[in-house]
Amino acid sequence: MTVQSTPGATPLPSNLLTGSVPDESILVRSRGVTKRFGGLTAVNNVDFDIPRGAIVSLIGPNGAGKTTFFNMITGYYVPTSGTITFDDTPIVRMAGKKAKSLKPHEVTKLGIGRTFQNIRLFGTMSALDNVRVGANVHLTSHWWDSILRTPSMLREEQATIDSSMELLKLVDLDTRADTWARNLPYGDQRRLEIARALATRPKLLLLDEPTAGMNSSETRSLTDFIRRLRAEFGLSVLLIEHDMRVVMGISDRVTVLDHGEVIAEGTPAEVRANPRVIEAYLGREAGEES
Amino acid sequence: MSGTTKVIGTGPGAWFGFIGSTLASYPGRYRAAYHRRRTRTILLTILLIGSLIYPVIHSVFLAGFSRNVVPLPLPDDTVMTFMTIFAIMSIGLNIVAGYAGLLDLGYVAFYAIGAYVAAFLASPHFGQFGIDIVFLGHVGPGAVGIHLPFWIVAIVAILVVATFGALLGAPTLRLRGDYLAIVTLGFGEIVPLFFKNLSSVTINFALGPLAISLSNVNLTGGVQGINPIDPPFLPILDVVFDARSGPLAVYFGMFLVLIAIVVARNLDLSRMGRAWGAIREDETAAEMMGVNTVRTKLLAFALGASFAGVAGAFQASYLGATTSDFFEFSTSILVLIMVILGGIGNVWGALAGAVMLVYVDETLLPYVSQRIGDIAPALPNPSQYNFLIYGVLLVVMMRFRPQGFLPSRQREAELSVHGLADADAQMGIVGEFDNVGVAPPGQDETGSDSRTPETPDEARDL
Amino acid sequence: MDQIIQTLIIGLANGLIYALVALGYTLVYGIIELINFAHGDVFMLGSMLAFVLIAPPSNGGWGIFSIESGTPLPLLTIQILIVLAICMASMATLNWFIERVAYRPLRHAPKLAPLITAIGVSFILQNVGLILGGAYQRTVDSVFPTDNLLAPFGITNIVLTASQVLVAVVTIPILVALSWFVGKTRQGRAMRATAQDPDTAGLMGVDVNRTIAITFIIGGALAGAAGLVQILYNNYTVYTLGVRFGLNSFTAAVLGGIGNLQGAVLGALVIGEINAISDRYVSPNWTQAIVFGILIAVLVFKPTGLLGQQLADRA
Repeated sequence: MTVQSTPGATPLPSNLLTGSVPDESILVRSRGVTKRFGGLTAVNNVDFDIPRGAIVSLIGPNGAGKTTFFNMITGYYVPTSGTITFDDTPIVRMAGKKAKSLKPHEVTKLGIGRTFQNIRLFGTMSALDNVRVGANVHLTSHWWDSILRTPSMLREEQATIDSSMELLKLVDLDTRADTWARNLPYGDQRRLEIARALATRPKLLLLDEPTAGMNSSETRSLTDFIRRLRAEFGLSVLLIEHDMRVVMGISDRVTVLDHGEVIAEGTPAEVRANPRVIEAYLGREAGEES
Repeated sequence: MSGTTKVIGTGPGAWFGFIGSTLASYPGRYRAAYHRRRTRTILLTILLIGSLIYPVIHSVFLAGFSRNVVPLPLPDDTVMTFMTIFAIMSIGLNIVAGYAGLLDLGYVAFYAIGAYVAAFLASPHFGQFGIDIVFLGHVGPGAVGIHLPFWIVAIVAILVVATFGALLGAPTLRLRGDYLAIVTLGFGEIVPLFFKNLSSVTINFALGPLAISLSNVNLTGGVQGINPIDPPFLPILDVVFDARSGPLAVYFGMFLVLIAIVVARNLDLSRMGRAWGAIREDETAAEMMGVNTVRTKLLAFALGASFAGVAGAFQASYLGATTSDFFEFSTSILVLIMVILGGIGNVWGALAGAVMLVYVDETLLPYVSQRIGDIAPALPNPSQYNFLIYGVLLVVMMRFRPQGFLPSRQREAELSVHGLADADAQMGIVGEFDNVGVAPPGQDETGSDSRTPETPDEARDL
Repeated sequence: MDQIIQTLIIGLANGLIYALVALGYTLVYGIIELINFAHGDVFMLGSMLAFVLIAPPSNGGWGIFSIESGTPLPLLTIQILIVLAICMASMATLNWFIERVAYRPLRHAPKLAPLITAIGVSFILQNVGLILGGAYQRTVDSVFPTDNLLAPFGITNIVLTASQVLVAVVTIPILVALSWFVGKTRQGRAMRATAQDPDTAGLMGVDVNRTIAITFIIGGALAGAAGLVQILYNNYTVYTLGVRFGLNSFTAAVLGGIGNLQGAVLGALVIGEINAISDRYVSPNWTQAIVFGILIAVLVFKPTGLLGQQLADRA
């Protein structure tokens, strides 16, 4: 399967784990990431890499630990142990026996944006303002600039309006810029969440079940859109997805989690044929049969 | 979105240019508003002009009329000045509670600190320690103590109060809303206690080279307080804005309120306002979108507190005295009622709430009790009932109109009795829509490592 | 040394009173996560009711059960029990009423709303206390002989009075009864289930509304009992009593672990002792500040309190 990459970049190799590729190709490198909640181990010793410019899917049965892993990459949860590096900057590192993590807003500033499984927009703010909040992270004006309305602050305000409107146009919401987020239809809300995440100028976009609740034509436009994001913005994308057509159709790599552990990793075709994967989804007998 | 200009230069020239052009745009905007909503514009204009000339009219005719002909429940100069003082405070508390959604039940502490800053920096009080500093102060030669002009006092008050606000907020703002409320309440009680008790300080402390020895030192004046405090003073026109200057003090207060309104509005319409709105709606999502929630909440808390500092400094300078008796927990709640009743999240609502409540508390209730006392002395005295009334007001408002009378549209949507159920469904958020809680649904953040949930149930929905 | 023990005894007696009130705070918080601001004022009204029932008309009471010193013990016991029952029942009803009218409609509102409502209720109750009892303290003469019970043992430097024993005699059985109720009865189990997960409890057949109502009723009854003990032991009441006691009791509940019954009692005893020690060795002026300081410190550094866990254990 051919892998689209950013214009001018070298084609991506197929074996990506454990240091067999030069570092510049790997955007996110996680090693030994484990998360325990009291007695339950949600994520167990996961090694996981995301190559630059790739679209990677994270799949697995419910409760496999996918969202927990998302939360650790974004700094919301602190892993019990393990390390995560983003673009050669550590997000999670070990300090003695405990892991230390950057705070979520610091991680966002480094360049990771995300959407949520259950939409978490700022409901009583307009679509434009929702996107502008995303843009805050790269602004330089301070609170006294806000009070005094200095020229530099006003310039920044105008710039964020302009760039946010462009993002809204990208997701086809520029005509609804002043509508409150909670008054938008479901599909629009999903796209608004993506626009808001894009406003943080990410290098890596995490999408948590982006096609949930969509019909097949909406799903198709979304997958085209994701490809566009990669092609035009050079974004890397990590998806949690249950819709196998999306996973198989769009991903460069697929990683399968079950009970918090990686049980398979590879191209979509490789993963689809993997008996352990089939077993995890369909049960032991189905696995043995194939 | 409105109000920004497309081409903006750099430097102070550009800034003055911006101010100038904004002011110049007002006539045009007024005309536009007049055409769009005629009645409303006219009413508001009348209201504005009325408030501006009222203090003069009152002292020229109405006071005499009320004294000699028919007693009317009209606010006098002192009451009006207090309206401005409380307006500044409620605009400030509106930033903390209305914009950022943080419940501060100890706002009176900042009020008190501001008042005592004025008391320390503009009175003979420090003369007892032999500290005599007069700098631009309005006193005669040979004055003892520290005497600084009001504008310096106000700036120092802002700095001191903001520092205390930041110190209090740093460890506590990450607590859940109701715990934060209790902690701020505690702070609001402890600070006045300090001012009350430090009227006689005896310390004998020696550690290496550092030795402090105080014996029965009157640091804060305790219950007797500190007086006299220099009033605000305008040197060129030789004008003093104190309790004897009548309407002049009211106008000075109005000027301070104007500054407060401008500052609050500017914050609201900036990245701060958007960040506060985001945190209020969904703090976790805001954090994940790159908003430094800790710092942003701290700014709201400290900036909001500084308004109370200015109000306190003005109050002390206006009255010419201060004492720990002026500052009680009930004042914090009173200001909160002003914000809630007036309309949460809206500067004009806070202003209206302050004017209304001060009027009721200082003019209307005493007037009604006097009239009832005249007519039927046996009937209970309403001014003894003011807390009953405020309590009932709170209960009824929370039940039927928690957003107040003039809320901002956002807060109305979040808080109105219909809005409460809607928000959940619209947003597809699992779990309780908790305006106060800082955790995703199911997670209980009450302290230290609030980012690590303890069970997988708490990990759902992120 | 004797001074210390004396102080500790006083602290213990007051601590037991704080315990009764603290349990009210912790029960309500455990079940609906509301800090019932007005609870201290319910206690204050309980003490006002007790005053009115016990004090003779010459002192402003109704003199219904005017308990005078010198009444023989059996009669005294019966009178006290009757007044206790009346106080507990009335405050239980009041608390039930408050929940029904002020808090229940806001069950699903953001947490700010019922908290502010509770402040409003507190204002109302305080004003009622002001109107009923006046602005100043109301005192009753001590009902019990003030002789030192330790005198026959040859101890004269430490005083233990009958009223202090009374405090223990009234409060301890109530605490035991409560513990049994919550731990062993069906209704108690319902309370614990509702505290842990109201929705699931509802699905399992628990009448959540009724359970919450019962929690408030119990809290009110405890406050009423505490009010009576306050009159019998401390011999005074005033409309601001609820504020003072409320602070102490709420801090106790938080210190022990909010939602945790044993914690509330433990915290109350600790706070009682701290109060006594501060009053004696520092200055009564600073006691309130110290208690607030403890409250803030606990909430900031160890919000789960000394004994942690909630009314219903969290896994």
